[in-house]
Amino acid sequence: MAGGKQNKLSREEELLLQDFSRNVSTKSSALFYGNAFIVSAIPVWLFWRIHQMDLYQSAIIFAIGTIISTYLVAMAYRNLKFILKHKIAVKREDAVAKETLKKFADDKRMTKKEKDERVLWKKNEIADYEATTFSIFYNNALYLALLIVSSFFVLKNFNPVVNYSLAVGSAAGLLALFSTSSKI
Amino acid sequence: MAATCQICVVLGLFLLPAFIYGDTCLAPVVKSQTYSTPEAVVSTDTVLIAEFTLTCKNNLKNINLYADIGGRTIPATKTYEANKYQISISDEHKKLPPGTYEIRIFDEEGFAALRKAQRSGESTDSLKPLFTISLSHQGIWSGPVLQSEFVAAMTAIIVWWLAYTARGKLLA
Repeated sequence: MAGGKQNKLSREEELLLQDFSRNVSTKSSALFYGNAFIVSAIPVWLFWRIHQMDLYQSAIIFAIGTIISTYLVAMAYRNLKFILKHKIAVKREDAVAKETLKKFADDKRMTKKEKDERVLWKKNEIADYEATTFSIFYNNALYLALLIVSSFFVLKNFNPVVNYSLAVGSAAGLLALFSTSSKI
Repeated sequence: MAATCQICVVLGLFLLPAFIYGDTCLAPVVKSQTYSTPEAVVSTDTVLIAEFTLTCKNNLKNINLYADIGGRTIPATKTYEANKYQISISDEHKKLPPGTYEIRIFDEEGFAALRKAQRSGESTDSLKPLFTISLSHQGIWSGPVLQSEFVAAMTAIIVWWLAYTARGKLLA
């Protein structure tokens, strides 16, 4: 669409691009990283209080584990959000269109194109919001399930430092890996 | 001279029982404390401990005492405090079931009789101990039926499963 001659994209095209883009807004990114950090810091408590690791002595490994895990979890959030967004947009399209059109039904000044644009914008916003929240919920649930199973059952006979590294690494790694799959 | 000797013998005969009785604790007053293993999570064996202080009317101190707990005979350990003794037995959890254990305490004389009865295979029930301590063993607690990490893991898996089905519906 952006051939050599036409440099400027129309508003609709921009929205469409944004709709299909893998990039997330700064606000969304902050939300992802903030959530990823909180969920990645939970294992620190688990290994400190339950597995009896010393908080100060293990501070370095905790910091490294949390940073790597935050990055991988945020990546999983983004990937899943991208997959979900289109599906949700399609699912919610009719309802959003109906509601938006009803809202502007009395507005005679608004053209059909403007109304469609509003619908598209609203649909994008709703799908974005739902995909973001669901992606955070799903990945948090999977991350914690993986972490608990690996730290308490799979790696229970390892010493806590190895247990922490492997449990956090594998939980975050698997989460990132699963998020790249587009299959259900 | 002969008369004096006779008097000595007669006196001796009368006094002898008093000397012999000198080794026996008269009217024993016992203050006891007991302990039994309450749980099996951190203990591999059940331990029963009884600690007691013995006071005799005839002021006997540090006599040798022996205990009989359900057919097991063990000497009572003297502690650093005078007239304070301790008895302990330990065994597998199954071999020491919950219930009340009667610890029969014997002195040297009673213990000799007990050994004699045991050797000849007679019942020792009829023997009269110096005193008896009852130890009530409440039984051992072998931890919760479900481990807390199992509950945590199950909860996490259920939450994930709900999320997974919801994801499936959204992607369908």
